[in-house]
Amino acid sequence: MKPLIQIDNVRFSYPNEENPAENTEVLKGISLEFEPGELVAVLGHNGSGKSTLAKLMNAVLLPTEGRVTVCGMDTADEEKLFEIRQHVGMVFQNPDNQIVATIVEEDVAFGLENLGVPSDEMRDRVDQALHAVGMYEYREHAPHQLSGGQKQRVAIAGIIAMRPDCIVLDEPTAMLDPQGRKEVMRTIKLLNRDYGITVILITHEMDEAAQCQRVVVIDHGEVRMDAAPEKVFSHVQLMRELGLDVPQPTELVDLLRQAGYDLDPEIMTVEECVDAVAALMTKQSGNV
Amino acid sequence: MLKDITLGQYFPIDSVVHKMDARYKIIITLLFLVMLFWGQHFTSLIAGLLFVILATVCSKIPPKMIIRSIRPIVPILIITGLLNLFWLDGGKLLWQWHFLKISEQGIQTSVFMFVRICLLIAGTSLLTYTTSPIVLTDAIESLLSPLKKLNMPVHELAMMMTIALRFIPTLIEETDKIMAAQKARGADLESGSLMQRAHALVPILIPLFVSAFRRAEELALAMECRCYHGGEGRTRLRQLKSSLRDYVALALMIFMLSAVIIINLIIGG
Amino acid sequence: MPILEAKNLTYTYSIGSPFEKTAVDHINLQIEQGEFVGIIGHTGSGKSTLMQMMNGLLKPTEGTVLLNGQDIWEKKADRRAVRFQVGLVFQYPEYQLFEETVYKDIAFGPKNMGLDEKEIDRRVRETAEAVGLREELLQKAPYALSGGQKRRVAIAGVMAMEPKVLILDEPTAGLDPKGRTKILTQLREYHKRTGCTVMLVSHSMEDVAKYVSKLLVLSHAQVVCYDTPANVFARGKELETIGLALPQITRVFHGLRARGIDIPEEVYTVKFGAEQLLARLEGREPQC
Repeated sequence: MKPLIQIDNVRFSYPNEENPAENTEVLKGISLEFEPGELVAVLGHNGSGKSTLAKLMNAVLLPTEGRVTVCGMDTADEEKLFEIRQHVGMVFQNPDNQIVATIVEEDVAFGLENLGVPSDEMRDRVDQALHAVGMYEYREHAPHQLSGGQKQRVAIAGIIAMRPDCIVLDEPTAMLDPQGRKEVMRTIKLLNRDYGITVILITHEMDEAAQCQRVVVIDHGEVRMDAAPEKVFSHVQLMRELGLDVPQPTELVDLLRQAGYDLDPEIMTVEECVDAVAALMTKQSGNV
Repeated sequence: MLKDITLGQYFPIDSVVHKMDARYKIIITLLFLVMLFWGQHFTSLIAGLLFVILATVCSKIPPKMIIRSIRPIVPILIITGLLNLFWLDGGKLLWQWHFLKISEQGIQTSVFMFVRICLLIAGTSLLTYTTSPIVLTDAIESLLSPLKKLNMPVHELAMMMTIALRFIPTLIEETDKIMAAQKARGADLESGSLMQRAHALVPILIPLFVSAFRRAEELALAMECRCYHGGEGRTRLRQLKSSLRDYVALALMIFMLSAVIIINLIIGG
Repeated sequence: MPILEAKNLTYTYSIGSPFEKTAVDHINLQIEQGEFVGIIGHTGSGKSTLMQMMNGLLKPTEGTVLLNGQDIWEKKADRRAVRFQVGLVFQYPEYQLFEETVYKDIAFGPKNMGLDEKEIDRRVRETAEAVGLREELLQKAPYALSGGQKRRVAIAGVMAMEPKVLILDEPTAGLDPKGRTKILTQLREYHKRTGCTVMLVSHSMEDVAKYVSKLLVLSHAQVVCYDTPANVFARGKELETIGLALPQITRVFHGLRARGIDIPEEVYTVKFGAEQLLARLEGREPQC
């Protein structure tokens, strides 16, 4: 299958206005491919270049070197700009600063209005999008009456109403409370599973990355790891060096392994951990 | 509550007037203003009063809401009323004391002005009571759209209005937060001379502006990502649709206005 | 005598309107001098309202706050002086920075206290060091700093008032794991060095558990418990019923106990948990 988004040896520097020779290079030669239907986390600490990477995926930024293609379209091709943005939607960190309209359903319609979708078709698509994120009952509310998690779901609805193949979410939960985080994570997993939308989740939270199928770890503008979450988190030491956390069960298993006990390093969930440790304890007490 | 400023004066109930096409409501309101100021004859005021009563009944807006809308301008009404009463010459002189005098013309004009302004406020409040600011913005954009041909930025103005309405509650909340935070650092906002107080606002205004600019930047990016490219080729979710009731209302208004004009012409002639 | 005491403390918003809501409901609480208190609860549990009453920003609807045994709302009490003694750092405090330089911003609080130049200078430099801001940053504009640095400038601005009680409302919100650890360790150091009372509002049990000496759990405007972390986590089930997520490590140990393995219940850090398990496996006494 052809990749949905192909990032080919991309470098990116923000221009330094005072001294053009001293450009700060944020991305240092990144190559990645995202397939249709994937649920991927791009994990990295603040300043690792992950947000810049996100903005390259729908032509908000263009690579200084290399190429980004979306469904075969080069993001540098200005004529394809709107088409690319329709294929790859973007959700940002601050839910307040991406809602345009004073009424929920009008905000969800905003993208469709820009695309010139006829109004009766728009009505259907807005309603579907609101149902998909579970915000239909709130369609006539004003944004400031909603909680952070609800606002973020409205923002997501505004994107999926445009029927994109892929949504890139740039730290969508960073400003939310645990309840809001849960709502947003549940929503994006559901969109991926039931609607087949490719989700690229930019985050620094390991527990969110753990819920994805694939984790790409970015550090200093380079890809350091690209694998299933349990594989990525099993490198406890490396993750810590990169300023990232690992799930506590993985950390516990790592400490036991360091003490010489043979446990699967790829244990990630509480349940797996309980099973493995319980088995170890029974075996051990059997030996005694 | 200040936070609910987005709704403006909007009084959300279900009525014929609420359901009317906002464009027609605006046109009718404009014609109503023309009628009020047409000629110096009481027919225009009677017609205006009839219109306000009819519209109030049809909109189911409680009459006390209408009265409430007039209340803030009562001082202005009284002052202009008195000025007209004491200073205007003409007609029979009824009473005089030094430079103050009351003439027939004075009484007539001051009563006229008083009633006229009351009706003006009542009529325009009816528009804002029955139409939410967002719909009003849409309607204004639609009515002004012919001006686009003259390169007037009609869509852009309407978009700015919408965004302002959207962000007013957010910024009010933010102001509260910043004020509390600076107070926690000992900022004194409540005492001191006028200059001192103005100076004390700096720690509040600067963060507020910085935040507003940051929000504007982020919003612009988010809008761009949702394919915003100005008003060209844009469709709308909420369609302004006119129906029979709008035509009837407009016809009625035109009839009233014509009647007032004709009566004025006959009497004036 | 406790340094801070809440007696029958109540706060109701929008009294008499349809939006009337009691955010803090007859709370009684005694905070001892030198304690490091973690405050946990949902959005809307009353945390923020309680904090703002503690330093006199909000006037209680009912009840009193005693600072060193003095009622802060007594007629002759000086509320501004109370705010200098009970320092409050709001959520996302970097948004309140306004001076041209970092130095001036940190000096804002001490200046309002009416201190002399020399004392202000000492405080600014000391607190800047305490939050890990290098000397050369002091003359920079706050807006030129990174997000994490700005946050630390804002915290320093409150610390510089040298309050007896330092209250922080989610000081780590939105930061990556490295940024979070940095701020929390600096707070621990600050607490150790100055011996002042620190109260830390957080959403993350994992984060808080490692640092605090006491945990205050709030739910629906009331105190659920105020106790040592070990005792609070021993009541795991109760915390889950009010909808607070337990740290994964705690859940692992609850799971192991459910399998009939005799192991302590109040485990809330991975290190402690690993030591418990290793001791059990090696048939020795745990060393912590």
